Amino acid sequence: MAARPNASERLRRMLAVVPWILAHPGVTIGDLARRFGIPEREIERDLEILPMCGLPPYTPDRLIEVDLVDDRVRIRMAEYLDRPLRFTAAEGFAILAAGRALLAVPGSDAEGPLVDALAKLARVLGPVEGLTVEMGTIGQSDDTISTLQEAVAARRQLEIGYYSFGRDVETVRVVDPWAVHSAGGEWYLAAWCHQAGDERLFRVDRIRSVHSTGGTFPAPDVVPAADTFRAGADDPRVEMLLAEDDRWVVESYPVLETDVVADGRIRVVLAVSGQAWFERLALRLGPRSEIVAPDEMIGIARAAAARVLARYGVEETT
Amino acid sequence: MTIDRFERLTNLVAVMLATRRPLTLDEVTERVPGYPEALESRRRQFERDKETLRELGVPITLAVTDHLGGTGDVAYRILPGEYYLPDLELTADERTALAAAVTAVHIQEGQGREALWKLGGGGDTGTPRLAALPTVAALPRLFEAYRLRAVASFRYRNEDRRVEPWAIVFRRGHWYAIGFDQVRGAQRSFRADRVEGAVDVGPPGRFERPADFDPQTALRDQPWSFGGDAAIEALVLIDDTHAQSIVAQLGEEAVVERRADGVVVRLAVTNREAFRSFVLGFLDRAEVLSPDELRDDLVEWLRIRCAGPGSPA
Repeated sequence: MAARPNASERLRRMLAVVPWILAHPGVTIGDLARRFGIPEREIERDLEILPMCGLPPYTPDRLIEVDLVDDRVRIRMAEYLDRPLRFTAAEGFAILAAGRALLAVPGSDAEGPLVDALAKLARVLGPVEGLTVEMGTIGQSDDTISTLQEAVAARRQLEIGYYSFGRDVETVRVVDPWAVHSAGGEWYLAAWCHQAGDERLFRVDRIRSVHSTGGTFPAPDVVPAADTFRAGADDPRVEMLLAEDDRWVVESYPVLETDVVADGRIRVVLAVSGQAWFERLALRLGPRSEIVAPDEMIGIARAAAARVLARYGVEETT
Repeated sequence: MTIDRFERLTNLVAVMLATRRPLTLDEVTERVPGYPEALESRRRQFERDKETLRELGVPITLAVTDHLGGTGDVAYRILPGEYYLPDLELTADERTALAAAVTAVHIQEGQGREALWKLGGGGDTGTPRLAALPTVAALPRLFEAYRLRAVASFRYRNEDRRVEPWAIVFRRGHWYAIGFDQVRGAQRSFRADRVEGAVDVGPPGRFERPADFDPQTALRDQPWSFGGDAAIEALVLIDDTHAQSIVAQLGEEAVVERRADGVVVRLAVTNREAFRSFVLGFLDRAEVLSPDELRDDLVEWLRIRCAGPGSPA
């Protein structure tokens, strides 16, 4: 648990916990701790302060009464706290967006309690249908996400046909699916890839086919965090000088190094996760940007440009 | 004896919530124990407490007293009608469903958890983390403007904008506010993370969202059609390796011809840079068939990349 919360944090919780106790007299400390995710010790500590609070002149008939008997709590003389504080803008947005996001997951129950709960929230937050969360394209079939989720839950080994965007090839791999998640607006499958002999993240919209191998696998020790891209230690690096027009590169990809050089261009170093990925990036760079090093990457970029030019009947010697 | 700040803040909320009329600084600090004697330090401490309450979302109303020939002192209270969250009558299942959503989808630094407290918590639903959506400072205020139908004013790309937000949409990793830009007099989309500084939310109820507005289609995935260039129609051949996904993206109506080696699609181009970027994304798996103007543009672009050592220029 983090450091002890300050007075403001304690007040925030208390303004939510007291109304619940008032509505559920005799609730146990343990239940409160589970329900609100607050350690029992801290709830007890806050409840010890409450009997010193109330209204002037702070005589016994005006102070909040807290009865704690056999771990069961009752509160009286706090009618003014019988409802929680309204949502802040950020809270209202966050809970609604979380709900709308979960409903956008393929296979979610379009008539279940979440839908009803969001309709009730709309009573205080206003019309919610304009808040749209798209979790990512799901590729070949609506069922892919649920098929993968089921395989994760059952620890079922899969054979997937995967289009590697970075290398521009389709491959078939056997994987142990660990987790399915959405990040940065795309769905990912985190899995152990038997071909690579390493953990891999697969974009779900690039999974072209899914078949069960019939095998199962043991639970992984640690499921990798839901991040989208980690520079592989073995990935080659490329150094580039970007003109202002190509600032999008810095905004779109995780850069390992970045600084502004004398002529106003931005020097960046990126990890190259695949040749085709780099070719696309290089061909999109404007005329004032430059690939600095290594020579291998300069060569790859020029060869890619020549290959595309060949389609237009233009021969370039590189 | 010193009084715990938590205790003082609790009493402050109780006193300001239970009062029938606004209270001046003197009246508040007289009723709530724990404030210093000296006026200046008393005022400073009260200001700090007031700020803390505001950060928690406690609505404090200001009034100027003019009773008894009034000295014009500022007075404060918490209006019950503004303070309390109405009872939403959530069932246990509904509360659990919301708790599962908040656990599964991480958003705005966990603010959803605090919202959940106000609904009575929900406990551990055992839901795995399913998604992480980016936290953007401007979002809660943009959402506030959307739901209150209030005009949002903010700085965007070095211009002051006044926008009637019709929808808040998360797509492809970014949050957008879509609505009517009063300055431009047209519908526009704004990336929330590119809003500069604070968002001002005007008075509520100032516009109606058009009945035929659809947030799903308002934000199109066709960057080449956003731009000021003169409209030009392009035909592009996409090789069969990528035909299926491009038809899924553009829709069947964009298909001009299906050939053995791929599919020919028609694009209305008003942004040539975005168009070039789109076509180059296919590397040598796509070809601009017409018009010559766009073909030549692409060839010229690639020639520059081919020439010179590592760079053009």
